[in-house]
Amino acid sequence: MDTVLEVKDLTKRYRRRRAEPVMAIDRVSFAVRKNEVVGLLGPNGAGKTTTIKCIAGLIKANSGEIWLDGIEAQRQPKRAMERVAALLEGNRNIYWRLTPRENLEFFAGIQGHMVGKVKRYIDELIELFDLKDKEHTSARMLSRGMQQKLALACALVRQTEVLLLDEPTLGLDVETSYELRHALKQMAARGERTILLSSHDMHVVEDICERVVIINNGRVVVDDRVSNLIKLFRASAYRFELEGRLVEQLELKLKERFPLLALSATDHRTYIDADLKDGSELYEVLDLLKAGGTQIKSIGHKEPDLEEIFLAIVRGQLE
Amino acid sequence: MRYLALLIAQLKIRYIYLKRYYFDTLSMIVTIFLVFLIIFFGATWLLGGTPGDTGDTLEGIVVGFMVWTFALMAYSTLSWGMIEEAQQGTLEQLYMSPLGFGWVTILRVAAHFIFNLLIVIVILLLMMGTTGRWLNLDVLSLIPLVLLTIAGAYGIGFFMGGLALVFKRVQSALQILQFVLVIFIAAPFGWMPFMRFLPLSLGTRLIGAVMIDGRTLLELPPGDVLVLIANSAVYFGLGFLAFKLFEDVARDRGLLGHY
Repeated sequence: MDTVLEVKDLTKRYRRRRAEPVMAIDRVSFAVRKNEVVGLLGPNGAGKTTTIKCIAGLIKANSGEIWLDGIEAQRQPKRAMERVAALLEGNRNIYWRLTPRENLEFFAGIQGHMVGKVKRYIDELIELFDLKDKEHTSARMLSRGMQQKLALACALVRQTEVLLLDEPTLGLDVETSYELRHALKQMAARGERTILLSSHDMHVVEDICERVVIINNGRVVVDDRVSNLIKLFRASAYRFELEGRLVEQLELKLKERFPLLALSATDHRTYIDADLKDGSELYEVLDLLKAGGTQIKSIGHKEPDLEEIFLAIVRGQLE
Repeated sequence: MRYLALLIAQLKIRYIYLKRYYFDTLSMIVTIFLVFLIIFFGATWLLGGTPGDTGDTLEGIVVGFMVWTFALMAYSTLSWGMIEEAQQGTLEQLYMSPLGFGWVTILRVAAHFIFNLLIVIVILLLMMGTTGRWLNLDVLSLIPLVLLTIAGAYGIGFFMGGLALVFKRVQSALQILQFVLVIFIAAPFGWMPFMRFLPLSLGTRLIGAVMIDGRTLLELPPGDVLVLIANSAVYFGLGFLAFKLFEDVARDRGLLGHY
Protein backbone atom coordinates (compact mmCIF):
# COMPACT_ATOMS: atom_id res chain seq x y z
CA MET A 1 0.00 0.00 0.00
CA ASP A 2 1.12 3.59 -0.60
CA THR A 3 2.50 5.70 2.19
CA VAL A 4 0.26 8.71 2.71
CA LEU A 5 1.87 10.25 5.77
CA GLU A 6 5.57 10.12 6.48
CA VAL A 7 7.34 11.88 9.31
CA LYS A 8 11.13 11.95 9.04
CA ASP A 9 13.45 12.98 11.88
CA LEU A 10 10.97 15.53 13.18
CA THR A 11 12.44 17.62 16.00
CA LYS A 12 10.86 20.36 18.05
CA ARG A 13 12.52 22.28 20.86
CA TYR A 14 10.56 24.93 22.75
CA ARG A 15 12.70 27.89 23.65
CA ARG A 16 12.23 29.30 27.13
CA ARG A 17 13.19 32.61 28.61
CA ARG A 18 16.23 32.32 30.87
CA ALA A 19 16.10 28.54 30.79
CA GLU A 20 17.30 25.62 28.72
CA PRO A 21 15.08 24.76 25.74
CA VAL A 22 12.67 21.87 26.23
CA MET A 23 13.01 19.04 23.74
CA ALA A 24 9.43 18.10 22.90
CA ILE A 25 10.17 15.63 20.12
CA ASP A 26 13.54 14.34 19.04
CA ARG A 27 14.02 12.90 15.54
CA VAL A 28 10.60 11.29 15.45
CA SER A 29 10.08 9.14 12.35
CA PHE A 30 7.21 6.93 11.27
CA ALA A 31 5.03 6.31 8.25
CA VAL A 32 1.32 5.63 7.80
CA ARG A 33 -0.01 3.82 4.77
CA LYS A 34 -3.21 4.65 2.89
CA ASN A 35 -6.36 3.80 4.88
CA GLU A 36 -4.30 2.56 7.82
CA VAL A 37 -5.39 3.47 11.36
CA VAL A 38 -2.37 4.07 13.59
CA GLY A 39 -2.34 4.85 17.30
CA LEU A 40 0.12 7.38 18.64
CA LEU A 41 0.72 6.54 22.28
CA GLY A 42 2.83 7.92 25.05
CA PRO A 43 2.63 9.23 28.60
CA ASN A 44 1.73 12.87 29.29
CA GLY A 45 4.36 15.18 27.87
CA ALA A 46 5.80 12.49 25.62
CA GLY A 47 5.34 14.61 22.50
CA LYS A 48 2.16 13.18 20.95
CA THR A 49 0.28 16.47 20.62
CA THR A 50 3.39 18.29 19.40
CA THR A 51 3.84 15.63 16.71
CA ILE A 52 0.19 15.90 15.64
CA LYS A 53 0.24 19.70 15.63
CA CYS A 54 3.46 19.75 13.60
CA ILE A 55 1.79 17.51 11.01
CA ALA A 56 -1.25 19.81 11.03
CA GLY A 57 1.01 22.83 10.45
CA LEU A 58 0.03 24.40 13.76
CA ILE A 59 3.50 24.13 15.28
CA LYS A 60 6.70 24.89 13.42
CA ALA A 61 9.25 22.11 13.76
CA ASN A 62 12.95 22.91 14.14
CA SER A 63 13.99 20.24 11.70
CA GLY A 64 12.74 17.16 9.92
CA GLU A 65 10.26 16.51 7.16
CA ILE A 66 6.54 15.83 7.00
CA TRP A 67 5.30 14.27 3.77
CA LEU A 68 1.58 14.20 3.10
CA ASP A 69 0.71 12.27 -0.02
CA GLY A 70 3.93 13.35 -1.71
CA ILE A 71 3.79 16.97 -0.52
CA GLU A 72 6.35 18.29 1.95
CA ALA A 73 4.04 20.03 4.41
CA GLN A 74 6.46 22.65 5.66
CA ARG A 75 7.44 23.80 2.18
CA GLN A 76 3.93 23.70 0.71
CA PRO A 77 1.60 24.19 3.67
CA LYS A 78 -1.51 25.13 1.67
CA ARG A 79 -1.29 22.07 -0.56
CA ALA A 80 -0.60 19.93 2.48
CA MET A 81 -3.69 21.30 4.25
CA GLU A 82 -5.81 19.98 1.41
CA ARG A 83 -4.80 16.55 2.58
CA VAL A 84 -5.13 16.75 6.35
CA ALA A 85 -7.80 17.59 8.93
CA ALA A 86 -7.58 17.33 12.69
CA LEU A 87 -9.74 16.95 15.73
CA LEU A 88 -7.92 18.55 18.63
CA GLU A 89 -8.90 18.86 22.28
CA GLY A 90 -12.16 16.95 22.26
CA ASN A 91 -15.31 19.04 22.21
CA ARG A 92 -13.61 22.31 21.35
CA ASN A 93 -13.06 23.02 17.63
CA ILE A 94 -16.73 23.80 16.97
CA TYR A 95 -18.80 26.98 17.06
CA TRP A 96 -21.03 26.61 20.08
CA ARG A 97 -23.52 29.20 18.88
CA LEU A 98 -24.10 27.43 15.56
CA THR A 99 -26.17 24.30 15.00
CA PRO A 100 -24.50 21.04 13.90
CA ARG A 101 -25.58 21.60 10.28
CA GLU A 102 -24.34 25.20 10.31
CA ASN A 103 -21.02 24.06 11.80
CA LEU A 104 -20.61 21.41 9.11
CA GLU A 105 -21.46 23.87 6.35
CA PHE A 106 -19.02 26.44 7.74
CA PHE A 107 -16.12 24.01 7.96
CA ALA A 108 -16.85 22.75 4.45
CA GLY A 109 -16.66 26.38 3.31
CA ILE A 110 -13.39 26.94 5.15
CA GLN A 111 -11.97 24.04 3.16
CA GLY A 112 -13.18 25.69 -0.05
CA HIS A 113 -16.14 23.35 -0.69
CA MET A 114 -19.37 24.92 -1.96
CA VAL A 115 -22.15 23.82 0.38
CA GLY A 116 -24.34 22.63 -2.51
CA LYS A 117 -21.67 20.17 -3.54
CA VAL A 118 -21.21 18.62 -0.10
CA LYS A 119 -24.84 18.70 1.07
CA ARG A 120 -25.28 14.96 0.57
CA TYR A 121 -22.09 14.22 2.51
CA ILE A 122 -23.21 16.52 5.33
CA ASP A 123 -26.51 14.59 5.47
CA GLU A 124 -24.52 11.35 5.64
CA LEU A 125 -22.35 12.63 8.49
CA ILE A 126 -25.40 13.79 10.43
CA GLU A 127 -26.83 10.28 10.06
CA LEU A 128 -23.54 8.55 10.85
CA PHE A 129 -23.07 10.46 14.09
CA ASP A 130 -26.74 10.30 15.20
CA LEU A 131 -27.12 14.07 15.05
CA LYS A 132 -30.34 14.08 13.03
CA ASP A 133 -32.60 14.98 15.96
CA LYS A 134 -30.31 17.80 17.00
CA GLU A 135 -29.20 19.15 13.65
CA HIS A 136 -30.96 22.48 14.27
CA THR A 137 -30.04 22.82 17.97
CA SER A 138 -27.22 25.13 19.06
CA ALA A 139 -24.05 23.13 19.66
CA ARG A 140 -23.81 24.54 23.18
CA MET A 141 -27.08 22.77 24.03
CA LEU A 142 -25.72 19.36 23.03
CA SER A 143 -24.26 16.85 25.46
CA ARG A 144 -20.48 16.68 25.62
CA GLY A 145 -20.49 13.41 23.73
CA MET A 146 -22.59 14.89 20.95
CA GLN A 147 -20.35 17.94 20.79
CA GLN A 148 -17.37 15.65 20.41
CA LYS A 149 -19.13 13.68 17.68
CA LEU A 150 -19.91 16.96 15.95
CA ALA A 151 -16.27 18.06 16.22
CA LEU A 152 -15.27 14.77 14.59
CA ALA A 153 -17.87 15.26 11.85
CA CYS A 154 -16.52 18.79 11.26
CA ALA A 155 -13.05 17.33 10.74
CA LEU A 156 -14.49 14.74 8.35
CA VAL A 157 -16.51 17.23 6.29
CA ARG A 158 -13.24 18.66 5.04
CA GLN A 159 -12.90 15.41 3.06
CA THR A 160 -9.16 15.09 3.47
CA GLU A 161 -7.13 11.95 2.95
CA VAL A 162 -5.52 12.07 6.40
CA LEU A 163 -7.34 12.58 9.66
CA LEU A 164 -5.51 13.42 12.88
CA LEU A 165 -7.37 12.72 16.10
CA ASP A 166 -5.87 14.02 19.33
CA GLU A 167 -7.59 12.52 22.36
CA PRO A 168 -11.03 12.19 20.75
CA THR A 169 -12.57 10.57 23.84
CA LEU A 170 -10.97 12.85 26.42
CA GLY A 171 -13.25 13.81 29.30
CA LEU A 172 -16.13 11.57 28.25
CA ASP A 173 -17.96 9.26 30.63
CA VAL A 174 -17.79 5.52 29.95
CA GLU A 175 -21.05 5.35 28.02
CA THR A 176 -20.37 8.37 25.81
CA SER A 177 -16.81 7.24 25.24
CA TYR A 178 -18.22 3.91 24.07
CA GLU A 179 -20.61 5.68 21.70
CA LEU A 180 -17.84 7.77 20.16
CA ARG A 181 -15.61 4.72 19.94
CA HIS A 182 -18.38 2.97 18.06
CA ALA A 183 -18.64 5.92 15.67
CA LEU A 184 -14.86 5.92 15.18
CA LYS A 185 -14.91 2.19 14.57
CA GLN A 186 -17.61 2.55 11.97
CA MET A 187 -15.63 5.27 10.31
CA ALA A 188 -12.43 3.24 10.36
CA ALA A 189 -14.28 0.21 9.03
CA ARG A 190 -15.40 2.18 5.99
CA GLY A 191 -11.70 2.41 5.14
CA GLU A 192 -12.01 5.83 3.55
CA ARG A 193 -9.46 7.64 5.65
CA THR A 194 -5.93 7.34 6.87
CA ILE A 195 -6.08 7.99 10.59
CA LEU A 196 -3.43 8.89 13.16
CA LEU A 197 -5.02 8.75 16.59
CA SER A 198 -3.54 9.77 19.90
CA SER A 199 -5.34 8.64 23.02
CA HIS A 200 -4.82 7.63 26.61
CA ASP A 201 -7.82 5.35 26.27
CA MET A 202 -6.24 2.02 25.40
CA HIS A 203 -9.63 0.47 24.66
CA VAL A 204 -10.09 2.97 21.85
CA VAL A 205 -6.63 2.29 20.47
CA GLU A 206 -6.93 -1.49 20.79
CA ASP A 207 -10.39 -1.38 19.21
CA ILE A 208 -9.56 0.78 16.24
CA CYS A 209 -5.85 0.81 15.48
CA GLU A 210 -3.97 -1.81 13.54
CA ARG A 211 -0.59 -0.42 14.49
CA VAL A 212 0.83 1.74 17.27
CA VAL A 213 3.71 4.14 17.49
CA ILE A 214 4.77 4.67 21.09
CA ILE A 215 6.62 7.87 21.95
CA ASN A 216 8.43 8.40 25.20
CA ASN A 217 10.49 11.44 26.13
CA GLY A 218 10.04 12.74 22.61
CA ARG A 219 11.41 9.64 20.91
CA VAL A 220 9.76 6.75 19.13
CA VAL A 221 10.34 3.64 21.23
CA VAL A 222 7.99 1.22 19.50
CA ASP A 223 6.47 1.11 16.04
CA ASP A 224 4.68 -2.19 15.49
CA ARG A 225 1.36 -3.85 14.81
CA VAL A 226 -0.89 -4.26 17.87
CA SER A 227 -1.16 -8.02 17.18
CA ASN A 228 2.65 -8.36 17.12
CA LEU A 229 3.01 -6.55 20.43
CA ILE A 230 0.38 -8.74 22.04
CA LYS A 231 2.11 -11.85 20.67
CA LEU A 232 5.46 -10.63 21.93
CA PHE A 233 4.20 -9.84 25.40
CA ARG A 234 2.11 -12.99 25.60
CA ALA A 235 5.33 -15.01 25.53
CA SER A 236 6.70 -13.24 28.58
CA ALA A 237 3.51 -12.56 30.54
CA TYR A 238 2.89 -15.18 33.24
CA ARG A 239 0.10 -15.71 35.71
CA PHE A 240 0.78 -17.72 38.88
CA GLU A 241 -2.16 -19.07 40.87
CA LEU A 242 -1.21 -19.77 44.49
CA GLU A 243 -2.99 -21.55 47.31
CA GLY A 244 -3.99 -19.17 50.16
CA ARG A 245 -2.63 -15.69 50.88
CA LEU A 246 1.04 -14.69 50.68
CA VAL A 247 2.91 -13.87 53.83
CA GLU A 248 3.92 -10.21 53.98
CA GLN A 249 7.66 -10.92 53.97
CA LEU A 250 7.42 -12.95 50.76
CA GLU A 251 5.26 -10.28 49.14
CA LEU A 252 7.90 -7.64 49.96
CA LYS A 253 10.71 -9.85 48.61
CA LEU A 254 8.86 -10.46 45.35
CA LYS A 255 8.08 -6.77 44.86
CA GLU A 256 11.63 -5.78 45.69
CA ARG A 257 13.01 -8.10 43.03
CA PHE A 258 10.22 -7.52 40.44
CA PRO A 259 8.79 -4.04 40.95
CA LEU A 260 6.33 -4.33 38.02
CA LEU A 261 4.80 -7.55 39.31
CA ALA A 262 1.07 -7.31 40.09
CA LEU A 263 -0.52 -9.13 43.03
CA SER A 264 -4.20 -9.79 43.57
CA ALA A 265 -5.96 -12.08 46.00
CA THR A 266 -9.30 -13.64 46.89
CA ASP A 267 -10.05 -15.33 50.24
CA HIS A 268 -8.33 -18.58 49.28
CA ARG A 269 -6.16 -17.71 46.30
CA THR A 270 -3.37 -15.32 45.37
CA TYR A 271 -2.60 -14.37 41.77
CA ILE A 272 0.70 -13.01 40.55
CA ASP A 273 0.93 -11.37 37.12
CA ALA A 274 4.48 -10.85 36.00
CA ASP A 275 6.32 -9.98 32.86
CA LEU A 276 9.42 -12.16 32.93
CA LYS A 277 12.17 -11.58 30.45
CA ASP A 278 13.59 -15.08 30.29
CA GLY A 279 13.61 -18.50 31.90
CA SER A 280 16.01 -17.48 34.65
CA GLU A 281 13.53 -14.89 35.96
CA LEU A 282 10.82 -17.57 35.97
CA TYR A 283 13.08 -19.82 38.07
CA GLU A 284 13.82 -16.91 40.39
CA VAL A 285 10.09 -16.42 41.08
CA LEU A 286 9.66 -20.16 41.61
CA ASP A 287 12.59 -20.24 44.02
CA LEU A 288 11.20 -17.33 46.03
CA LEU A 289 7.78 -18.96 46.20
CA LYS A 290 9.30 -22.29 47.23
CA ALA A 291 11.41 -20.61 49.91
CA GLY A 292 8.28 -18.88 51.19
CA GLY A 293 6.53 -22.21 51.48
CA THR A 294 3.84 -21.31 49.00
CA GLN A 295 1.84 -23.94 47.19
CA ILE A 296 1.53 -23.28 43.46
CA LYS A 297 -1.83 -24.28 41.93
CA SER A 298 -1.02 -23.36 38.35
CA ILE A 299 1.29 -21.34 36.09
CA GLY A 300 0.12 -20.09 32.74
CA HIS A 301 0.68 -17.49 30.07
CA LYS A 302 -1.44 -14.43 30.58
CA GLU A 303 -3.23 -12.70 27.69
CA PRO A 304 -1.85 -9.15 27.90
CA ASP A 305 -3.91 -6.14 26.89
CA LEU A 306 -2.52 -3.08 25.20
CA GLU A 307 -2.59 -1.06 28.39
CA GLU A 308 -0.26 -3.50 30.14
CA ILE A 309 2.00 -3.63 27.14
CA PHE A 310 2.10 0.15 26.97
CA LEU A 311 2.90 0.45 30.68
CA ALA A 312 5.61 -2.18 30.48
CA ILE A 313 7.24 -0.42 27.55
CA VAL A 314 7.04 3.05 29.02
CA ARG A 315 8.13 2.03 32.50
CA GLY A 316 10.92 -0.02 31.05
CA GLN A 317 12.05 3.03 29.21
CA LEU A 318 11.81 5.22 32.25
CA GLU A 319 13.95 2.98 34.36
CA MET B 1 -14.70 29.06 -6.65
CA ARG B 2 -12.96 27.90 -3.46
CA TYR B 3 -12.46 31.48 -2.30
CA LEU B 4 -16.10 32.19 -3.08
CA ALA B 5 -17.07 29.20 -0.90
CA LEU B 6 -14.94 30.66 1.89
CA LEU B 7 -16.51 34.12 1.50
CA ILE B 8 -20.02 32.65 1.52
CA ALA B 9 -19.17 30.69 4.68
CA GLN B 10 -17.95 33.89 6.36
CA LEU B 11 -20.98 35.90 5.24
CA LYS B 12 -23.34 33.19 6.41
CA ILE B 13 -21.83 32.85 9.89
CA ARG B 14 -21.94 36.64 10.36
CA TYR B 15 -25.55 36.79 9.17
CA ILE B 16 -26.56 33.92 11.47
CA TYR B 17 -24.96 35.59 14.50
CA LEU B 18 -26.56 38.96 13.83
CA LYS B 19 -29.97 37.40 13.22
CA ARG B 20 -29.95 34.72 15.91
CA TYR B 21 -28.64 37.09 18.54
CA TYR B 22 -30.82 39.99 17.34
CA PHE B 23 -31.21 41.31 20.87
CA ASP B 24 -27.45 41.68 21.08
CA THR B 25 -27.39 43.37 17.67
CA LEU B 26 -30.14 45.78 18.69
CA SER B 27 -28.47 46.47 22.06
CA MET B 28 -25.26 47.32 20.23
CA ILE B 29 -27.06 49.79 17.95
CA VAL B 30 -28.96 51.37 20.85
CA THR B 31 -25.83 51.65 23.04
CA ILE B 32 -23.82 53.28 20.26
CA PHE B 33 -26.70 55.64 19.56
CA LEU B 34 -27.04 56.58 23.25
CA VAL B 35 -23.32 57.31 23.49
CA PHE B 36 -23.69 59.49 20.41
CA LEU B 37 -26.62 61.39 21.95
CA ILE B 38 -24.61 62.07 25.12
CA ILE B 39 -21.65 63.35 23.09
CA PHE B 40 -23.77 65.36 20.66
CA PHE B 41 -26.00 67.09 23.19
CA GLY B 42 -23.04 67.49 25.56
CA ALA B 43 -21.15 69.27 22.79
CA THR B 44 -24.20 71.39 21.97
CA TRP B 45 -24.41 72.49 25.57
CA LEU B 46 -20.66 73.22 25.74
CA LEU B 47 -20.81 75.25 22.53
CA GLY B 48 -23.63 77.22 24.12
CA GLY B 49 -26.22 76.94 21.39
CA THR B 50 -29.08 74.82 20.20
CA PRO B 51 -28.40 71.83 17.93
CA GLY B 52 -29.62 73.94 15.05
CA ASP B 53 -27.16 76.82 15.25
CA THR B 54 -23.72 75.47 16.08
CA GLY B 55 -22.55 74.97 12.52
CA ASP B 56 -19.99 72.54 11.17
CA THR B 57 -18.65 71.49 14.58
CA LEU B 58 -21.68 69.41 15.39
CA GLU B 59 -21.89 67.99 11.91
CA GLY B 60 -18.25 67.08 12.32
CA ILE B 61 -19.23 65.19 15.45
CA VAL B 62 -21.78 63.16 13.48
CA VAL B 63 -19.18 62.27 10.85
CA GLY B 64 -16.43 61.61 13.40
CA PHE B 65 -18.71 59.42 15.48
CA MET B 66 -19.74 57.47 12.41
CA VAL B 67 -16.11 56.82 11.47
CA TRP B 68 -15.26 55.92 15.06
CA THR B 69 -18.13 53.39 15.20
CA PHE B 70 -17.01 51.84 11.94
CA ALA B 71 -13.37 51.78 13.01
CA LEU B 72 -14.28 50.20 16.32
CA MET B 73 -16.25 47.45 14.62
CA ALA B 74 -13.45 46.94 12.11
CA TYR B 75 -10.66 46.42 14.56
CA SER B 76 -12.84 44.41 16.96
CA THR B 77 -13.50 41.88 14.18
CA LEU B 78 -9.84 41.00 14.19
CA SER B 79 -8.66 41.62 17.72
CA TRP B 80 -11.59 40.49 19.87
CA GLY B 81 -12.51 38.02 17.14
CA MET B 82 -9.10 36.38 17.37
CA ILE B 83 -9.38 36.12 21.16
CA GLU B 84 -12.84 34.55 20.88
CA GLU B 85 -11.65 32.02 18.30
CA ALA B 86 -8.68 31.07 20.49
CA GLN B 87 -10.95 30.72 23.53
CA GLN B 88 -13.40 28.39 21.83
CA GLY B 89 -10.66 26.38 20.12
CA THR B 90 -11.67 27.13 16.55
CA LEU B 91 -8.63 29.23 15.71
CA GLU B 92 -6.54 26.16 14.92
CA GLN B 93 -9.28 24.85 12.66
CA LEU B 94 -9.33 28.13 10.73
CA TYR B 95 -5.57 27.98 10.52
CA MET B 96 -5.81 24.59 8.84
CA SER B 97 -7.73 25.93 5.86
CA PRO B 98 -5.92 25.06 2.63
CA LEU B 99 -6.76 28.55 1.38
CA GLY B 100 -4.45 29.98 4.04
CA PHE B 101 -5.17 31.73 7.30
CA GLY B 102 -4.48 35.10 5.65
CA TRP B 103 -7.35 34.60 3.21
CA VAL B 104 -9.62 33.22 5.91
CA THR B 105 -9.02 36.43 7.86
CA ILE B 106 -9.26 38.81 4.91
CA LEU B 107 -12.53 37.30 3.72
CA ARG B 108 -13.86 37.44 7.26
CA VAL B 109 -12.96 41.12 7.28
CA ALA B 110 -14.83 41.54 3.95
CA ALA B 111 -17.92 39.76 5.30
CA HIS B 112 -17.90 41.84 8.46
CA PHE B 113 -17.37 45.02 6.46
CA ILE B 114 -20.57 44.43 4.50
CA PHE B 115 -22.70 43.86 7.61
CA ASN B 116 -20.97 46.62 9.59
CA LEU B 117 -21.72 49.02 6.75
CA LEU B 118 -25.43 48.21 7.06
CA ILE B 119 -25.32 48.72 10.83
CA VAL B 120 -23.44 52.00 10.49
CA ILE B 121 -25.99 53.22 7.92
CA VAL B 122 -28.79 52.50 10.43
CA ILE B 123 -26.90 54.34 13.18
CA LEU B 124 -26.13 57.24 10.83
CA LEU B 125 -29.77 57.60 9.85
CA LEU B 126 -30.74 57.57 13.53
CA MET B 127 -28.10 60.20 14.27
CA MET B 128 -29.18 62.43 11.40
CA GLY B 129 -32.86 62.01 12.23
CA THR B 130 -32.35 62.90 15.90
CA THR B 131 -30.08 65.88 15.34
CA GLY B 132 -31.90 67.17 12.29
CA ARG B 133 -28.61 67.42 10.42
CA TRP B 134 -29.15 65.66 7.13
CA LEU B 135 -25.74 65.13 5.64
CA ASN B 136 -24.87 64.57 2.00
CA LEU B 137 -24.84 60.81 1.30
CA ASP B 138 -23.00 60.61 -2.01
CA VAL B 139 -22.57 56.83 -2.02
CA LEU B 140 -20.18 56.74 -4.99
CA SER B 141 -17.79 59.11 -3.24
CA LEU B 142 -18.30 57.75 0.24
CA ILE B 143 -17.81 54.00 -0.33
CA PRO B 144 -14.19 54.30 -1.58
CA LEU B 145 -13.37 56.90 1.06
CA VAL B 146 -14.85 54.77 3.86
CA LEU B 147 -13.02 51.69 2.55
CA LEU B 148 -9.72 53.55 2.44
CA THR B 149 -10.23 55.13 5.85
CA ILE B 150 -11.30 51.92 7.56
CA ALA B 151 -8.38 50.01 6.00
CA GLY B 152 -6.19 51.77 8.58
CA ALA B 153 -8.43 50.47 11.39
CA TYR B 154 -8.16 46.96 9.94
CA GLY B 155 -4.38 47.39 9.96
CA ILE B 156 -4.56 48.18 13.68
CA GLY B 157 -6.93 45.23 14.12
CA PHE B 158 -4.47 42.88 12.43
CA PHE B 159 -1.67 44.16 14.67
CA MET B 160 -3.73 43.70 17.82
CA GLY B 161 -5.01 40.32 16.61
CA GLY B 162 -1.41 39.23 16.14
CA LEU B 163 -0.56 40.44 19.64
CA ALA B 164 -3.52 38.42 20.96
CA LEU B 165 -2.15 35.28 19.27
CA VAL B 166 1.13 35.57 21.17
CA PHE B 167 0.29 37.35 24.43
CA LYS B 168 -3.33 36.15 24.78
CA ARG B 169 -4.53 38.66 27.35
CA VAL B 170 -4.52 41.97 25.53
CA GLN B 171 -8.01 43.13 26.47
CA SER B 172 -6.77 46.14 28.47
CA ALA B 173 -4.76 47.38 25.52
CA LEU B 174 -7.78 46.90 23.27
CA GLN B 175 -9.94 49.01 25.56
CA ILE B 176 -7.39 51.81 25.69
CA LEU B 177 -7.11 51.69 21.92
CA GLN B 178 -10.81 52.57 21.56
CA PHE B 179 -9.97 55.99 22.94
CA VAL B 180 -6.76 56.30 20.96
CA LEU B 181 -8.93 55.95 17.85
CA VAL B 182 -10.83 59.06 18.96
CA ILE B 183 -7.53 60.96 19.02
CA PHE B 184 -6.72 59.76 15.50
CA ILE B 185 -10.13 60.83 14.23
CA ALA B 186 -10.08 64.23 15.95
CA ALA B 187 -6.37 64.91 15.27
CA PRO B 188 -6.03 68.66 14.71
CA PHE B 189 -3.77 68.50 11.69
CA GLY B 190 -4.64 72.06 10.75
CA TRP B 191 -1.86 73.18 13.07
CA MET B 192 0.00 69.85 13.30
CA PRO B 193 0.23 68.74 9.64
CA PHE B 194 2.08 65.50 10.40
CA MET B 195 -1.07 64.22 12.07
CA ARG B 196 -2.68 63.68 8.68
CA PHE B 197 -0.45 60.62 8.43
CA LEU B 198 -2.11 58.98 11.43
CA PRO B 199 -4.61 56.23 10.62
CA LEU B 200 -8.24 57.42 10.22
CA SER B 201 -7.25 61.08 10.50
CA LEU B 202 -7.15 62.30 6.90
CA GLY B 203 -9.90 59.89 5.82
CA THR B 204 -12.31 61.34 8.39
CA ARG B 205 -11.64 64.85 7.06
CA LEU B 206 -12.24 63.78 3.47
CA ILE B 207 -15.45 61.95 4.41
CA GLY B 208 -16.47 65.14 6.21
CA ALA B 209 -15.75 67.16 3.07
CA VAL B 210 -18.18 64.94 1.16
CA MET B 211 -20.86 64.66 3.82
CA ILE B 212 -20.77 68.18 5.24
CA ASP B 213 -19.49 70.36 2.38
CA GLY B 214 -21.25 68.36 -0.31
CA ARG B 215 -18.13 67.78 -2.41
CA THR B 216 -17.63 64.71 -4.58
CA LEU B 217 -14.62 62.42 -4.59
CA LEU B 218 -13.35 64.06 -7.78
CA GLU B 219 -13.56 67.51 -6.23
CA LEU B 220 -11.32 66.57 -3.31
CA PRO B 221 -7.63 67.65 -3.48
CA PRO B 222 -5.89 64.84 -5.44
CA GLY B 223 -2.85 65.14 -3.16
CA ASP B 224 -5.00 64.38 -0.11
CA VAL B 225 -6.64 61.40 -1.83
CA LEU B 226 -3.22 60.03 -2.82
CA VAL B 227 -1.93 60.47 0.74
CA LEU B 228 -5.04 58.65 1.98
CA ILE B 229 -4.45 55.75 -0.44
CA ALA B 230 -0.80 55.52 0.60
CA ASN B 231 -1.75 55.83 4.26
CA SER B 232 -4.30 53.03 4.03
CA ALA B 233 -1.95 50.77 2.12
CA VAL B 234 0.86 51.35 4.62
CA TYR B 235 -1.24 50.84 7.78
CA PHE B 236 -3.12 47.86 6.37
CA GLY B 237 0.09 46.36 4.99
CA LEU B 238 2.10 46.93 8.17
CA GLY B 239 -0.72 45.56 10.31
CA PHE B 240 -1.02 42.46 8.15
CA LEU B 241 2.76 41.98 8.08
CA ALA B 242 2.92 42.28 11.86
CA PHE B 243 0.06 39.79 12.11
CA LYS B 244 1.97 37.28 9.95
CA LEU B 245 5.09 37.79 12.09
CA PHE B 246 3.15 37.25 15.32
CA GLU B 247 1.49 34.21 13.73
CA ASP B 248 4.94 32.83 12.99
CA VAL B 249 6.02 33.40 16.60
CA ALA B 250 2.81 31.73 17.83
CA ARG B 251 3.49 28.71 15.60
CA ASP B 252 7.08 28.52 16.76
CA ARG B 253 6.04 28.60 20.42
CA GLY B 254 3.04 26.32 19.86
CA LEU B 255 0.63 29.00 21.06
CA LEU B 256 -2.06 28.94 18.39
CA GLY B 257 -4.38 26.70 20.35
CA HIS B 258 -3.66 28.16 23.77
CA TYR B 259 -5.64 30.67 25.63
